[in-house]
Amino acid sequence: MFKAQRLKANRGRALQFTFEGTTVTAYDGETVATALLAAGVTAFNVTRGGEPRMPFCNMGTCFDCAVCVNGHSLVRACLTDVSSGMQVNRQEGK
Amino acid sequence: MHDLGIVGAGPAGMAAALAVADMGFSVIVVDEQARAGGQIFRRPPEAWGERHGVYRPYAWARDLIERFEDHPKITAAFRATAFGVLRGNDKDDRASLELAVSSPDGGQRVSARRLLLATGAYDMPVAFPGWTLPGVMTAGAIQSLIKSQKLLSGKRVVLAGSHPIQLILAGQLLDAGADIVEIALARDLPGLKEMARGLPAVPGHVSIFTEAVRALSKIMRHGVPIRWRTVVSEATPEDTGLRVRLETVDPSWLGTGESHLHEADILVLGYGFTPSTELARQAGCEMKWDSAGGGWTVLHDARFQSTAPDIFVAGEPTGVAGAERAWAEGHIAGLFIAASLGAKLDDRALSHSTRRLIRAGRFSDVMQTMFEPKRKALAELSRQDETVICRCEEVRNRQIEDALQNNPFIQSVNAVKLECRSGMGVCQGRYCEGTVAARIGNAREASIEASGYYNAHLPVKPVALQVYRDISKD
Repeated sequence: MFKAQRLKANRGRALQFTFEGTTVTAYDGETVATALLAAGVTAFNVTRGGEPRMPFCNMGTCFDCAVCVNGHSLVRACLTDVSSGMQVNRQEGK
Repeated sequence: MHDLGIVGAGPAGMAAALAVADMGFSVIVVDEQARAGGQIFRRPPEAWGERHGVYRPYAWARDLIERFEDHPKITAAFRATAFGVLRGNDKDDRASLELAVSSPDGGQRVSARRLLLATGAYDMPVAFPGWTLPGVMTAGAIQSLIKSQKLLSGKRVVLAGSHPIQLILAGQLLDAGADIVEIALARDLPGLKEMARGLPAVPGHVSIFTEAVRALSKIMRHGVPIRWRTVVSEATPEDTGLRVRLETVDPSWLGTGESHLHEADILVLGYGFTPSTELARQAGCEMKWDSAGGGWTVLHDARFQSTAPDIFVAGEPTGVAGAERAWAEGHIAGLFIAASLGAKLDDRALSHSTRRLIRAGRFSDVMQTMFEPKRKALAELSRQDETVICRCEEVRNRQIEDALQNNPFIQSVNAVKLECRSGMGVCQGRYCEGTVAARIGNAREASIEASGYYNAHLPVKPVALQVYRDISKD
């Protein structure tokens, strides 16, 4: 399966957060969508019908990147900046 | 209370904000992204230390962004979603206009004497078997991830579409190190006659054509095949990515049955753009069908005032026409908004922007005509039993087909929505309206326009209940 690649850039400070309990390393200024794509996550959420979904529009209109962040559901990963210690979980049956 | 509230900090929103703030009025701008610029000028985050991104071929972007960000009369709220327009009366019983706004800190109401909706556009969705699979993404998604996050979404890429953005994007993907397997374009190679008709687009837009030529020569240097009269008709999951079926179409974009397969990590869709009009619909603005302009657009007068009192509109919601025209529309709207607030109309500035508007219009008219998507033909790609049409509610082709067959009097998207829930999910119908409308048109041998558009209600984007509690406080 594919994995997104970070291109060369002066990124922000490295930080850690968790996705489904697993530690993910990201950089200040990245969105949760970027960090999860770079970590090779292929299902940001699973639909009621059981289909995995990943970012489609990356501009906040499609909601296919919706995840749970610190207990809040339906948070768009493409519009959410990563922060240290953030707990992100897969959204089930949005 | 602000004098003007603007939704969207792209070229139209920034130009309008400056025109109004320069007259001494206070302006507040709400935008979902992290920084000003809109989709066209997405740039790396502030934390990475660079003020600017690459705005080629728009030389004026840098100055516009700097003046916008530095203006003392402009306040901007980023990572904030305007999810509704509220009308009511303030404590002194004067009519008031408010934006309901949701941000990571909670909900708030932002009141203003005038509103400008400069909400931009999003990639036009096309439904076909497999379009919901991980790895299928829009051109805007791939491009914004490269531009603002310096992220290459996948190595092996197939691009399918009809909009020239696909060629620009292909150039950016090659720079980022991607292997482009094929670029499939729905239309035919333009003939000489069509090229000649396009000539009026050139004056004043040489830099845009230079950019396109730069991308094309890169594509040729890398030996990337471009296939005309080809659309994507299916994507299926593979252990190593996606298997993409590309089908040859006739000049009306209907499938010929002849197809070929590719393996790829990412399939990029770029069939054009749809204006973001949900907030305008919710606010009660009258809409106007303009297929070449992207579908449903917001009706407005020469001052860019909508049919809803005190609400103006500029940029892509008036018809998708690019950054140059969005800037001019925003600036003109701003001048008239300032005049409506009591300032003297700046005639010199108005005639300057009007000239820019006309010049930009010559370019966008040609682009719109040359690359208008054939919506009814594209909608036929969704006509296979299990194809998902509404991504959110997972309404499939069969359900739409049954709804239309069993209810011969159904002829609007809203009626289909009530019958089978397409458009009732979290995206609020943005990604199925076009397909459903065209499918009704095909079934009833009617125009797409006759299918109408989904009603929009507050909240136009889903928000947490806490946000409602917040905005209920005085």
